[in-house]
Amino acid sequence: MGKKTKIKIDYSICGDGNEIDPRECLKCLKVCEPALFLLHESFGVEEENPYDPQIWRVTPLYPSLCTRCMKCVDSCPGKAIQVTW
Amino acid sequence: MCDHCLKHGTAGKWYLNAKNYSNEIVEEYNLQEFLQEQYKNFEQIAVRKVAGFSGVGLGYKIQMPIIGRVVKHFAEQMLHSTKPPTDPFKAEGHIGQVVPLDDAISILEHCAVEPIIQKYCMCRYMHRGEKDACCINFGVMSEIIEKLPRFIPVDEKFQLTREEAIERFKEHNKKGYIGTIWYGPYPYINNLCSCANPECAGIRPRLDFGINSIYKAEYVVDIEPDQCQGCKSCISKCQFNAIEFDPIKKQSFVDLTKCYGCGVCLHACKYDAMRIYPRKDFPELKGIY
Repeated sequence: MGKKTKIKIDYSICGDGNEIDPRECLKCLKVCEPALFLLHESFGVEEENPYDPQIWRVTPLYPSLCTRCMKCVDSCPGKAIQVTW
Repeated sequence: MCDHCLKHGTAGKWYLNAKNYSNEIVEEYNLQEFLQEQYKNFEQIAVRKVAGFSGVGLGYKIQMPIIGRVVKHFAEQMLHSTKPPTDPFKAEGHIGQVVPLDDAISILEHCAVEPIIQKYCMCRYMHRGEKDACCINFGVMSEIIEKLPRFIPVDEKFQLTREEAIERFKEHNKKGYIGTIWYGPYPYINNLCSCANPECAGIRPRLDFGINSIYKAEYVVDIEPDQCQGCKSCISKCQFNAIEFDPIKKQSFVDLTKCYGCGVCLHACKYDAMRIYPRKDFPELKGIY
């Protein structure tokens, strides 16, 4: 089995209303073969209209499915993703 | 018949019992507000903590010796819950079953409560970043979704008649998307999805983590050996790896224990070699759902 894969996203670059809006980028979600990322509304944010949330982030939900292909790292325009094991 | 059919099918299939779609259930269980709260922040469900656990890193949690079994137990207990739901941030009583084309048509013709809408599939959006209107909703659920702009298809008609909904479902089925019908929450049926692995958040827990989140269909597909020409086009359509190729006979064959009975492979066969049978006709598949 070997070591667990750890996927980290730097939220000061991507998501939570910072530099990159993941909803406009979507690159990591699209390249990931096992689709292990999850795009969701950020927690604890005051939304103007709770029916139409505007602040989103990406969470690496199932790192156990990662094939370590590094496509997400290469495609991230802000170099915000780190994959280690 | 699966467990749910025995309890809620009135001598048929649970999803063909029109009572499970009715607005009376919504009132009885007070689901309008519950569903509104749930779908407002639907994408967050997998990352929210439930009883100290969230879905983040689920695969590694399941692999842990004792904790893995506890996590699996609680996840299944939540999904199969038949109690009135309490927490909109938990997927309580959210269990589904694979349905082939003919049953989906029966659902849309006879059971689904109007208004019927198509919406952008949330699973495909949150896992793949794709906006694909492959989800069909009925009744109260349609009214709730209409208030949430991110799910409403742009430049496309989203309020559908029964006939249009059937046409849409056929298109998705031909494309290879698996039809699934869902309680959301039990005992109210409001969702007919067409989706694919690995994006579908309902199929994936079962395939990747062994959590019983979806039942196999009441059907199973088999290949007529006389008609199979060994072209293999069905093999790539199967998302459950149930079809294999026999290199000696030069024919494809179905592993019945792996088949979910979705029937999308039927569209791929050019030689009319594939047949869909009721699961109960196969004694060796008794109780395998």
